[in-house]
Parts: sequence; structure tokens; C-alpha cells
Amino acid sequence: MITRPMIAAVLSTTAAVVSAAAGPLQVTSSILAESRAAAADGTTRITLVKPSQITPGDKVIFVLAYRNTGTQPLANVVLDNPLPRAIVYRSANPGSPAPDVSVDGKTFGSLGTLRVRSLDGSTRAASPNDVTSVRWRLASPLAAGSQGQFAFQAVVR
Amino acid sequence: MLGAVPGYAETLAGTAIVNTGVLRYDLAGAAQTIASNTVTLTVAERLDVRLSHEGQGVILVAPPSALPTVVPLTLTNADNGSESFAIAATLSAGTIMLRGLSIDVDGDGRYDPSIDLPLVNGGSAPLAAGQSVTLFAILAATEVAGVRDAALTVTARAITGSGTPASGFAGGGDSGSDALVGPTGAAASVVVPLATGLAGPSLFKSQSVRAADGSQAAVRDSVITYTLEARFDDAVTGARIVDAIPVGTVFVPGSLTLDGTPLSDAAGTQASDAQGFSIVVAIGQVAPASVHTVQFKAKIQ
Repeated sequence: MITRPMIAAVLSTTAAVVSAAAGPLQVTSSILAESRAAAADGTTRITLVKPSQITPGDKVIFVLAYRNTGTQPLANVVLDNPLPRAIVYRSANPGSPAPDVSVDGKTFGSLGTLRVRSLDGSTRAASPNDVTSVRWRLASPLAAGSQGQFAFQAVVR
Repeated sequence: MLGAVPGYAETLAGTAIVNTGVLRYDLAGAAQTIASNTVTLTVAERLDVRLSHEGQGVILVAPPSALPTVVPLTLTNADNGSESFAIAATLSAGTIMLRGLSIDVDGDGRYDPSIDLPLVNGGSAPLAAGQSVTLFAILAATEVAGVRDAALTVTARAITGSGTPASGFAGGGDSGSDALVGPTGAAASVVVPLATGLAGPSLFKSQSVRAADGSQAAVRDSVITYTLEARFDDAVTGARIVDAIPVGTVFVPGSLTLDGTPLSDAAGTQASDAQGFSIVVAIGQVAPASVHTVQFKAKIQ
């Protein structure tokens, strides 16, 4: 059985840290959809737009943009994104580093290293459908004034 | 139910997808935690419907004097939300009348006029996401005369809206979500072939008599040749022709044929009662528009 953090718990965390948002590190979350348009050179140009209506099966892109607005470097930066219940993880978005993923919210690693325990006690290799949380870790301190973003693709159940 | 992501039920319309990222970092040796803004997306209602009829054959509509003919159809709400459907039916033949449309309220698969009441204002009650119900079209022929190549067309449309896929209805979905037309166009129709009168298999029996003197006199020891001609308009399976040997005659051994090919007596006859026996010829699977002829002889005692 896979458990997920309650959305309510995440929301309460949000409420508690509103004052902290004025600190040196800022993070902005957005959920976007792909918009495809034919470009003049004959290729298809994909842009990320705010989705108008989403229904089951639609692909959405979760984007987390971060920025060090302070004057000192910030060490050990880790960004966690527990997945909403209606969302199924697919992959890192092109151009974004691949996150470590978790199927239980505790153990993080690349998908290939994770296993899922079935009700009968046996285990199987984890699939993207099993992912409940994603995590990125910056290998080196984030210099003052620098910024970046992480993004992953998902599907609405 | 097979959802948009195999193995998972579809997310219901009106569900809020709420996302917040959490950042941890060290500042001057102290661990800090902040959350991102919270993004909320509300899942829209995708309007889709399916309507089907099991079986391929022509349905023979009962004559005016008989009980009405009930055609069962399956209506499926293929939405990810609750939806009602407007049901309409048309008939191509003026001699077949639509008595009514009803939902199988008690779900027993049988039409019961006292339980399965007619649709109110031509629409179904709301069906839950993925729910299927049986819809009965109740028909009766208004004339005894036969009609072939008639058809019943039944159409179901989502009440919220239908038409071009992806066209939207702001706020039209469950819990105030938006609604948009899905790949089915939020409309489905099914055509059921119908016929009245003589349609369906028919069996025509004739006889010829030959006496010992070469005449056609039906006297003792005269031999009667019976011909049974079975006509099939449609493909059927399990077809069987049964005819009792008439009282006062005795079956002539080895005389049974199907389409001119002799059949063994053991395979083609069986005792039916104390007086004698019947010919029983199993034809089995029959092609559409085919004729099969059985012949046998009996001697007058």
C-alpha cells in the first residue's frame, strides 16, 4: 500500500511559512500545459501555457522556479514536491535535471533503484505510476543572485 | 473501469489539484524551510457517452395483437462526472411505432412496465461517471403486413452540451468546474435493423404421393414424399428441422436427405412418442439468404 502526504498537511505548512517567503530563497510553483504551434520553419514549437481546462489523461508540466535573492550563498538546497493525488508522474521535463523520486515519501532515488511491496509481501520494480514524491538536490551552493528551475511531466488520472 | 491512465479510475470533475513545493536550505549553518506558493487547478468535466446494442441480426417486431417488442440498448456515461442524457429515437418505417423509452430502473435486464417507467422529458436520470444502464426501446408494428429493411435509430446526447470535441461550457461541469466536449462529441447513436411480418426463417412443407400402380392415389402401400423447404433471411445458428412422421404411415428407411445428400436414419430420426418418431435434422450454422431442403418418404399403412 502506498500512502501519500495529505494535501491538508501541505497546505498548513504553506500557511506557516508565508512569513518565511521574504527570506533569501524564493520558490514559485506553477502547473502548465503544452501548447503546440507550427513554426515558420516547418517544425512544431512547444510552449508552456496556463492550462484552460484539464481533464483525465491530459499532460501537465509542474515547474518550480527558485532564486537566491539574498547576498550570501545558500548551501544544501533541496526542493521537495509531493505529488497531488490526481497526478501521475511521467518524467523530467526536457531541459530539467531528473529528480530523485520516491514511492513511499521516505526513500528517494532514481526510479530504477526503487521497488514496491505488494499486499502479498512480494516486491516488484517501481514504475512511474508508483511515484508519490519528487526531489531535487543542488550539488553545490546556490550563489547570491542566481536562479534556476526544475520541471517534470505528469498526467491527470 | 479503465481510465485515462490504465489501472486508475478517472479523476472526477470538480476535483482540485493542489500543488505546493517545499524548499530546504542552510543559511549561516541553520536549516531553513520555505514553501512555494500553492497552485490549484480544477479538473474539468469531459462530456462523453456510449450507446450500443448487442447482436447483429434483424429484430422481428411483433404484430399489433401481440405483446410489444423490447429492444435493449446499453447507455454508458463515459464522462469523468455525473451527467444526464437526452434520448431520442426515430423509426424509418411508418408501420412500426415507438411505444416508449425506459431505463431498466431495477437493473434486472428485463422490461417491467410497472417498474421501468418512461423517461421523464426524454432524458435519463443523472448517471455517475462510468455508469452503464440498460435502455429499453419498446416497439410495436401497426400493421400485419411485412416490412423489411426498417431501422430504429436511437441517439443519446449529454444534457450539459454536445457537438465539436473540445468545445467548452464554462462552469457547466460538476461542482462548478468547466465542461468540455470529449472525443465522442458527447453524443452517440445506434442503428438497430428491424423487420415485421414474414421476416425471419420460414418453413414450407409439401408432399407428393406415388402408388404401386404409378398413380397418385393415397392408398395402402402408396409412398408419400415429404419436402420441407426452410428459408433463412439472416444468419442463424443452431437451426434444426423437426417433423413428426404422420400417424398411419411408416418411415421408409434410408429415405431422409438434406439438400439431396442422404442422411443416416440413426442420425436423422428419433423416437418422439409411443406412436412413432420424428425426423430431426440439425442444420446448425446457416448463412444469410439461404435455403435448405429436407426430404423423406413414408409409406401408407
